[in-house]
Order: sequence, then structure tokens, then C-alpha cells
Amino acid sequence: MNCEVCQLKELEVEHFEIREVLRCILHTILFHRALGLVRPKDVDLELFEITYVQCGDVELERKIDEKIDQFIDRVEKYPNKKNQICLSFYEVKNKQATWFTNKVERLYWEQWYINLNVMQHPKTPSGKSHHSKLIVDPGVEARGARRAALEASLRDVLFQIIKFVNEKKDHVPSIPNLEGISFPYEITISSSSDSAFGMEMFKRMLQTGHPTMLS
Amino acid sequence: MDLHSYRRGENGRLEQILNQFFLKNLHMILDSRVPAIRPSSRGEVKKSDKWFNLVLGDRPSAMDNLSFWNRSFMEPMVIDVILVQELPKSSTEHNSSTTLGSEMVTETVIERWAVQHEHQRAVAHPISEASYKKTYKKSIILLRSIYSMLRLLPAYKAFRKRGSSQNCDFDINYKVCTYAVPFSREEDELMKRHNFISIDTQQGALSVSVTYRRDLSDFNLDAFVSFPSEIITDYVGSPLTEPIRPFPTTSSEKGVRATSFPITGSQPTSSSPFQRRHSWTSGIHGDASSQKNPPFSGSPPLYRSPYEFSSSPADSRMRSETSPMSIPHPIMGRSPRYLSPNLSDPNRHSLPPLSPRSTKNDPLSQESSSGIRSTRKSDSLRAGEPSSGPTNLGPRVSRDAKEDSGRFSGPLSSSSSPRIGFSRSSSRLSFQDEFGEYDFSYPFIVDDVDPPDFQASQNLDGRNKSEDLSQASSTAKRSQDAAVGVLVHMLRTAPPLRQNSSCYTSSKTEVEREVGTASEFFKPRNTTDALEELKAYKEMKDLLI
Repeated sequence: MNCEVCQLKELEVEHFEIREVLRCILHTILFHRALGLVRPKDVDLELFEITYVQCGDVELERKIDEKIDQFIDRVEKYPNKKNQICLSFYEVKNKQATWFTNKVERLYWEQWYINLNVMQHPKTPSGKSHHSKLIVDPGVEARGARRAALEASLRDVLFQIIKFVNEKKDHVPSIPNLEGISFPYEITISSSSDSAFGMEMFKRMLQTGHPTMLS
Repeated sequence: MDLHSYRRGENGRLEQILNQFFLKNLHMILDSRVPAIRPSSRGEVKKSDKWFNLVLGDRPSAMDNLSFWNRSFMEPMVIDVILVQELPKSSTEHNSSTTLGSEMVTETVIERWAVQHEHQRAVAHPISEASYKKTYKKSIILLRSIYSMLRLLPAYKAFRKRGSSQNCDFDINYKVCTYAVPFSREEDELMKRHNFISIDTQQGALSVSVTYRRDLSDFNLDAFVSFPSEIITDYVGSPLTEPIRPFPTTSSEKGVRATSFPITGSQPTSSSPFQRRHSWTSGIHGDASSQKNPPFSGSPPLYRSPYEFSSSPADSRMRSETSPMSIPHPIMGRSPRYLSPNLSDPNRHSLPPLSPRSTKNDPLSQESSSGIRSTRKSDSLRAGEPSSGPTNLGPRVSRDAKEDSGRFSGPLSSSSSPRIGFSRSSSRLSFQDEFGEYDFSYPFIVDDVDPPDFQASQNLDGRNKSEDLSQASSTAKRSQDAAVGVLVHMLRTAPPLRQNSSCYTSSKTEVEREVGTASEFFKPRNTTDALEELKAYKEMKDLLI
């Protein structure tokens, strides 16, 4: 089975927009992959005029919020890096219980990469905050334009998800008789200039067991 | 099971999947495009709703008539989402339009969904149980993406606006048929098409496509939805909580901006500088439709007019141009005995005294009062107030409201108290009480206007002075105006102290004269009478003060 990878369009967001944007994207992807019985729940974004759909699973909502909190902490820890969230769907391979290890192998069949470029406001020197704020403040019009551009980009990302989900269906495993989330998933956070970032990607590629992914 | 029955069984399953797919699509589209037919509640999940693992809730009743798709999948199902708008006759674009009364109704297809199963004779897919499961799985994924897409397209915004506000000048309708009326070239240029990836089935391919208007800004949908709340910069407060003060005449421009909204698509009509000065005067300026519609969600009740007793621009302008009145200060200093209205006083109906201008408005006020009374009564019931209070005061207050438009537009319009219109808040009723107390506060107008009426209504002709005095002593319980009327009548009908027919100017003057020159005025024959009269005048003076 192929592992389909979707690199979503990069979004430039401000710190306070991270939560809304990530919630929107993650829930949209999961709604399309939670193929068990769901009662869809429409959610309106507060910052943008966009409505996205959730599965209505409370546990899922909690997990996503946890991951978003971790992402925000990472952004604050590494402010000058491009950060990425990876949402992966996998199948659990046959447990190979050996004498030494009890490894559970995961077979990833789909990976979504959400790329966020979090804008950082330049630090203002102490004692001159009043004046420096005037300099760095882009103005109401510029902010409005930026916000509109981000909304359009976010909408493009959602269309991108819908298009991807429509085009690639054969790799999706059979749907188990479950409610809500039908396939196991994991959400990982990494940064672009982080040395571990590339290694993480490489590891996953190896785990899928398809050399064609490397080409 | 032989091959034929197996094929029949599999075909039956496929037909079932296709049938439910068509119905699910229709359900999703109608649910997210046509607010009028959306079921209000979602109960327990029905078995039929579990198809494709997507629970949508109860189906709209309109779908009950669309069972013919159960039978055949040869024809496509085309669902048109139509924007219905009332526009002036001058604007006739490339839309179908019909005339409804005096307005043009335009219908524009803003979205078209087409669901189709294309049969193919030569099918390479082997018929097996796994194949229909695969078809079913792909249908689930396809429906998920259609569901998300429905929320991203421009028509969803229109649907939400229509659903959230009763006062839209547009409506959303739908049409389901088996064929698609082709768009004109101009319409085609404005539309964009998205084809979902078709799903191969055992007998063909299941496909869904949507053609939608890229941009709905041409329809000005935002212009006819509720305005956001505005901060009242010149709010003067409630008369119960803040002292009455004169309104600054220069702030009229500010008041223009914070006006009541357009209702049913009409723009704010009043251009008067006194359009909206206070929260409790907004009631005057509302039109008829505001009464039927619930308040805008999120907007305060200040902006909604509870009254529809006049929708004529002349009346509203007249009322709006009338400046608020202040209650004359001497009246405010009087004893509370005169301030509480005596509801059982039969003379109330002739009070407050009417100015000549307001007298002409009497027939109108009578007609409008009943309407106002009913609306105010309903408002009071809504606000939880007892209905007896406002009902009793209704005729009196409503007439004042109408009279005010005649009376106070003249030189007397110097008061600062709002006498026109009332807010829907619960404080309105108590304000009416207070207003009613100060109602009969213009004794001098009584003199000027209706002396004969007073004589007739008071019915004190032919009574002697002792009866007048007893009458006067009992005026403590009567209304203030009644007391004034009695006094005036007494002064006019009282026999002169002297034999000459010189008139009395004022009771106080007479008392002074009597005290100062008692020896001159009092003849032995009239001394007792004079003393009694003096006492009466003193009592009356006390009562009045």
C-alpha cells in the first residue's frame, strides 16, 4: 500500500491565529478520514469567515487542542524557525513478538504536512516601546489586507484537502466497524531548521517500506 | 446461490447504494442551502440516516415528494439553488424576473449540483462483494468532501445570512429536476465548475459536479441584514435613573447616525435631525413590519420599534421634529396628593386640557390610541408587567403622545422631558405613570382654551357658596386639574363682596385687600360671609400650594 503524502500550502500566521488555523485544518483532514459513523458539527472560525466541519468526537477535540498547545509552546521556544505539524494515518502491522523486542510496527498510508510560518514581532527596546510600536505597527489597512490574504490562503488549503481526498481514495484501508475515528493516527510537531526534523522525515519514509518515496 | 441471483443481489445492493447516495446528496444540499425547510430538531439517529456513516438528522419534508429517484438512476438529479431577490424595476439584468405587485422579483441560479450515475455497457469490474464495499467506501469519502465543499462555497454565506435574520430582502429557493437549463453566456462567465472525482461502480460511474457563482457581491446581500449595534454617544438615560435635562440642540447631527435600522429592506427614511435622540423615543419611528419580526439577534431592543401606529412619513417627521418637553418646575413642587392620578375621576377624560391644535387631532388620537394600547399591553405582558397598569393609562398617555405632536411643536416646546414614544424596556411603564402624574400641569391653558367646557363638565352651576366650599374641601382627593377647575369656577360664580361688579383678580389679592381694609369692605350684614369666604380662600391656597 502506498503512503500518500500531501504538503499543504504554507501559511503565514500571527501568534494569536495559530490555534484557529490549526484547528480548522486538522479537523478538516480528520473529518475526511474519520470514516466511521459521525454526526458532523459545523464550526465557525472567529477570526475568519470560514466554516469547517468537525467529527463531533470530544476526545478527538481534546487531543487536537493538546497538540496545538504543544505546537504553540514550540513556537515560543524556537521563534525563528518554520514549524510543521504532521498528521499521519497508519495501520498497525502484525505484532512481532520476539525474544528481545515486542515491537508494534506501524504502516503509514497517509501523511499530511501542515506548514506554518509564524510571524514574529521585533522586540522593542525597553524605554522606547511607545515610539517603536509606531514604527512596527503596519497599520489597520495593512493588517486587514494581511488578514484577508490569510483567509484566502486558508480557504485554498481547505480546497486542497478536499481535492486530495477526492483524487486519492484507493490507498485508504477498509473501514472498520467503528464510530467516529476509524483509523489510528498520530500528530507530530517539528521545526524546519531542526536537525531532527529531516531525520524524522527520513525515518518515516523508511518505515513505509517503499523506496520509491525517496526518489 | 447461482450467478444470476448473485448478480441480482449485487445489483440490488448497488441500486440501494445509488439510491441512498442520491438522497443523501439532496439532503445535504437542501440542509445547507435552503433555511426554510431545515428541520428544527435532531432526535435519535434513524437507521436510514446512518447510510454512508454520515448522520444528518431528519430529512426535510420536501424530500418525501422526491421518491421517484428510488426507481431509476438513468437520469441525473440536478439541484438548482436559486437566489430570489426583490429589486427595483430599473435593474433588470440577465436573470429571470417576474413582477410581483409593484416590485420586480429576480431569480438567479447561484449554484447547480448535478448527481449522476452514468451507465456503461461494458464494465470491466468484476462483480463481487468486495466491489460494492469499495464503492460504498468511496461514496463515504465523496460525501464527506461534498459536505465540506458545501460550507466553503459562496452560497453558504448567503444561506447563513438568510437563516440568521428574518429581515432579508432575499430568499433562497431550490429546484430539483432531471435536466439542467443551460446558462447563458454571461452567466457562464460568472460561474465556476468543480467536478468531483467519479466513483467507478459495477455498472458505470457515479459522478457529482457543482457549478457555482464565484462572487455574490453583486447581489448586495450584506445591505439588507441587521446592522451591528452602535454605541449611543448622546444617550441621555432613562428618566427614572437620571434627572430630566434639556437636550442640546447642537447634538442633533450625532443623533442622525444612530438611527433605527431599515426593516424589510428599506433604508432609514427619516432625515430629521431629531430622528433618534433617546432610547425611548425610538418607538415613534418604527414602521409596521417591525412589529411582526423578532428583534435582530445580538442587537439591543432599543433599536426596534414596538409601535406601528403611523407609518406615514409626515407623521413620523412631525413627531421626530418635535423636541422633548420639560416638566414645568412649579408643578414638580406640588404636593403628591395632586400628582397621583385619580383613575376613577370622571373628569379625567376631559383632562389634560386640550390646545386648539391638539383638539383637531382628537379623532386621530382616538383611533391610534386603541392600537397603541393593544401594542403596549402586549409589550407589557411580554415584559412581565401587569396589564392593568398600562391599560388604564393607555388612552390618556396615547392621546398625550398624539397631542404632543400638535401642542409641543409650538412655542411651548421647551421642555426637556421626552413625551413622545416609549422604549420596550420594563421601565417604560413606570415612566408612563410618572408621565401621567405630570399630565395635567397646565392650568393656565385651561383658562385660555376651554372655560365653557369646564363649566359644563364640572356641573357646578347654580350651587351656592357653602356647597362650593364643601366641594373645594373635597378637592384634596380630586386630581389637580379638577381642583384648579373648581377654583376657577368658584371665583367666577362667587358673588361679589361689594355691591359693585368688579372682578377678583386673584384670591391672594382679595385676601390682602380684605385684611387691609376690613373696616371698609365689611358691612355688618356680610361680615360672617366674608370671613367664611376668607377661610375658604385660605384653604384653597393651601391646597394649591
